Amino acid sequence: MPPEFIQALQNMSLATAIRESALVFPVILSLHLTGMGLFGGMILMTDLRLLGIALTKHPVSDIVNGLRPWKHLGLTLTAGCGILLLWSKAAIYYPNPYLHIKLALFVLIIIHAIVFRGVYRNVTDLDRSAVIPGRAKLAAALSLVLWLSVLTAGRWIGYWEPKGAPVNAAQVN
Amino acid sequence: MALFLAYDVANNPLNTNEWAFPVCEVLHILGFAVGIGTITMVDLRLLGIGLKKESAADLWKGTFAWTLAGLALALITGPLIFSSDPNMYLRNASFRFKLTALALAIIYNYTIHRWVALKQASGALAVLTGVISLVLWASVIFGGIFIAFV
Repeated sequence: MPPEFIQALQNMSLATAIRESALVFPVILSLHLTGMGLFGGMILMTDLRLLGIALTKHPVSDIVNGLRPWKHLGLTLTAGCGILLLWSKAAIYYPNPYLHIKLALFVLIIIHAIVFRGVYRNVTDLDRSAVIPGRAKLAAALSLVLWLSVLTAGRWIGYWEPKGAPVNAAQVN
Repeated sequence: MALFLAYDVANNPLNTNEWAFPVCEVLHILGFAVGIGTITMVDLRLLGIGLKKESAADLWKGTFAWTLAGLALALITGPLIFSSDPNMYLRNASFRFKLTALALAIIYNYTIHRWVALKQASGALAVLTGVISLVLWASVIFGGIFIAFV
């Protein structure tokens, strides 16, 4: 059973309104996925450019810096909607092991951002080097693996049922 | 509409294997994220609000293969997901909306959108082309999600 404060979180009026609305929940979920279309595409092209696989005719800094604000917009939209979805069904999602995996992956992503901050911050240095350094390629490859893992764990959240007391399939999407 | 009356969905691996359906969904989301994400890059350039150091034509050419790969992945996994319960999907109003929007979006992308991007049009024509593209693809995503809610 989830702790009382998780249940209380889910019982708050805004969370209840999102959960019980036939329209608001799917609209937020659609925006969560629209954010992924924006963020997913941008992060992929950023990382593929760093790996030297895509958009190689364009300078690294043009692509990485040009995509950055849109990547951040997509991330904000996806994460903002994700938090609302999680909040609205906090007690239902709380015991879900795939949610725990997803949250653990976010911790790894934050560590990745700290460890490799130099790569993304000093991206103009990469324009001057003939080959993209291994460190930048490692950062890009790990980023792709981490975000694909987040997507997979996220989708699996919808398929887990607690043992003994199966939840209504319509409750978890 | 029930065109698949003789088809027994119970034998479909997507309904008998615990992993098959969610794996298809993950690949479907990955595919559209790549496809629509790269189309959005061209749109942002057409709108004059992103990637301004590159030309729309260069972005179209640079993202072309990735857009195609992403859309192909979504278009392979989509029919697989559909095969898990075809009659339900055919009766679903949101699914029919999604398919209409998808057909329009794909045709639009490889005709008008392509032409305007390669021509490097600017001003109202470029902005309108970008906006229509974004609206069409967002409609596809919303239509897809609402299948589970109508």
